[in-house]
Amino acid sequence: MEAATRGKAPAERARAGKQLPLWLFRVSALTAGMAMFFPPANPGRISGKINQAASLFTTGISRDTVTNSMGRILRSQWIQDGEITALMIACVVVMLGVILCASGAAMSLGNHRMRRVGLALPLAGAPVMAGGLLLIRRSFERMTAHGAEVDKLDKLELAMPGGYTAFWVLAGILLVTSLAAFLVTGRTPERGMKMEMEEKYRLFLMMLPVILLAFIFCYLPIWGWRYALFDYTPGGGIGPENYVGLKWFRFLFTDPATSADLIRVLRNTLVMSGLGIATSWLPIAFAVLLAEVRSTKFQRFVQTFTTIPNFISWVLVYAIALSIFSTDGFINSFLTNVLHQTGANTNYLQSADHTWLKMLLWGTWKGVGWSAIIYIAGIAGIDQQLYEAARVDGANRFRCIWHITIPGLMPTYMVMLLMSIAGILSNGMEQYLVFSNAVNKDVIEVLDLYVYNIGIGKSQQISLSTVVGVSKSLVGITLLFLANGISKTIRGESII
Amino acid sequence: MRKRETSPKTHIHRTVGDRVFDIAIILFFSLFTLICVFPFYYLLINTISDNDLVTSGYVNFYPMLKNASGNGVFGIQISNYIALQNVQDLGSSIMVTVARTILGTALMVLTSAWAGYLVTKQKMWKRSFWYRFLVITMYFNAGLVPWYMNMLMMGLTDNFLAYIIPGMVAPYNIILVKTYIESIPASLEESAVIDGATTSRVWAKIILPLSVPILATIAIFGAVGNWNSFQDSLLLMNNRPDLYTLQHRLYIYLNSSSNLGAMMSQGGQISEQAAQGLLNQRVIRYTVSMVSIIPILLVYPFMQRYFVKGIMLGAVKG
Repeated sequence: MEAATRGKAPAERARAGKQLPLWLFRVSALTAGMAMFFPPANPGRISGKINQAASLFTTGISRDTVTNSMGRILRSQWIQDGEITALMIACVVVMLGVILCASGAAMSLGNHRMRRVGLALPLAGAPVMAGGLLLIRRSFERMTAHGAEVDKLDKLELAMPGGYTAFWVLAGILLVTSLAAFLVTGRTPERGMKMEMEEKYRLFLMMLPVILLAFIFCYLPIWGWRYALFDYTPGGGIGPENYVGLKWFRFLFTDPATSADLIRVLRNTLVMSGLGIATSWLPIAFAVLLAEVRSTKFQRFVQTFTTIPNFISWVLVYAIALSIFSTDGFINSFLTNVLHQTGANTNYLQSADHTWLKMLLWGTWKGVGWSAIIYIAGIAGIDQQLYEAARVDGANRFRCIWHITIPGLMPTYMVMLLMSIAGILSNGMEQYLVFSNAVNKDVIEVLDLYVYNIGIGKSQQISLSTVVGVSKSLVGITLLFLANGISKTIRGESII
Repeated sequence: MRKRETSPKTHIHRTVGDRVFDIAIILFFSLFTLICVFPFYYLLINTISDNDLVTSGYVNFYPMLKNASGNGVFGIQISNYIALQNVQDLGSSIMVTVARTILGTALMVLTSAWAGYLVTKQKMWKRSFWYRFLVITMYFNAGLVPWYMNMLMMGLTDNFLAYIIPGMVAPYNIILVKTYIESIPASLEESAVIDGATTSRVWAKIILPLSVPILATIAIFGAVGNWNSFQDSLLLMNNRPDLYTLQHRLYIYLNSSSNLGAMMSQGGQISEQAAQGLLNQRVIRYTVSMVSIIPILLVYPFMQRYFVKGIMLGAVKG
């Protein structure tokens, strides 16, 4: 790095220095753009009665969201309808300013002329933002005045939100950085230059919305890991006063009840994943045997019907389980009415016996036909000449299977196996959630279900369940890299 | 499935052991197929039979109605399906599920097609970084609770958009589309570019029509996923029962110990007969289950064509 910088010509270094305000401007424009959709940064939430989940964008466009918990306040005219409208308009003005700045940032990726225009936009956009913010301030003051007049100020929970300050800061930064970048960029060298953008940036800008969506829904949740370090209660906030450091991580090991739970769910998780891995050869057997059936029609028939269960949800699998195995299900009706047994009313689902095995069987029932497809396709892709040659050498069909088909499927199987080892802690929660009941809950609760139960389902121990989840994610990613490393060593190919 | 060539095995002399083995595997597969199909059949016949016979467990192998003397004879009726309109909350959950299946799938397919096309563009600024940025999300997630807190922060709880927006970016499908588009001859695109078409125009006029097979594949799998969705409804819609998906609603029906007849709407609209029939919670469960299975079975024949494509292409890394 250092050598590279030192090696650069001074002119180039100077240009890099000139780029700094430009980059600051782009980053802050991006931040402002995202902040529009980010409820905690909403500058328009000037009352505690405005929906906490409303972002600047929603506040600007959706009156319902703004007012949905203000019923009495509006009916009694503690806040007048017109004031809500004024607030919404103020929010739209702020948004316009942000949009101007963001478009400017996008245009700043273009050629000299386009960049200059792009950098000029925030010179208008930032003041528009400021104007909108002043309008919000004005709304706040008018609401306060009116609230004091009707003596209901305490009911209105009026307060300037943190997002208000944040947006002032953003507007300031946008103005300063764009101005600096504008001055540094200088005049367009030639007259009549067209506004153009290099293709690489154009393509990037087209991709940007997708990248932002992925960021918001897949990367931003990592920000939620911070709850692991706080004593968070739902509805409360987090701050220095409830910062507890690694307390919850220690709690996992020091609290006897929690560690006992953890050991129990880890046992369930590992046993069920282990059973799944131990039977992961079943789809291969299914595919190999099916390929031995000589009638293509029969093969297609079997494939058609054995893949159906894969496409129904676990809730429906449970519905089916109820219809077959519950007190009034098929098994009991059959015993009673066809075999004329008396007293056949066992509810096979309300039992903790062999739960792990039953879960494995349901998983197999649902998945084996589908998992076999990849191997069936694999078998179809094996060179038929290999079989012919083996025949000539006197091999029977079992030898053909053993020496040609199975080795041919091994590479695929190895990938599947490594992936399932990497996912050993993630069995998903749906299957176990639907099948769990008071009787079997101790043996059916896997890690994913446990996280759900303690975090969202039964209790709301956000911090504790975050700690468990974070540990799980870290172990999972380590296992994935391990599996990938093993695959690289053995097969010379990575799996991710 | 691709038809296999007739293997040379057929031409050789078959031993007794071979024949026994053949019969054994045919028996095995017949049995397994029966186990896969029978539960669906059993549900179906129990929804189209006489409800009294269902309750006393007589309907096991074929649909039955009562004859004049009250005995069960072969016959079907569909009054249970008609009576479903009186089950509270079912209508809204069907609407929600249909809406999310259509909207969610359409947006997911468009996003995948767009992103899948763009990531084939070598010229994009930091292309491989952004591609990896998307792909990594398949292997890593922050965990359930942080995800939930994030959705809460974004205002996507108790909000229909939570069904649509997060599902738009599906990395696996983006990889599928990318792999497919890479197999389209580049000359088609180049000729359009020479004629002055912009990137988005090339995408709309050339790439989209040519990648219909792969888009159909991801659309069908996406639609099934949306139709089967349960977890997001369970986690995010705590205060909006009217936004529960069909599977969530079914889950509630399956778990309610109280008589589901209580869920029937009050006030004279239901005929006495239908009300009595539907007071039977078992039949409601079966019928609602059938309602949520039927659409899957309907698209199933179309899906089959795309199975191998869907499962194999993903194995090809980008």
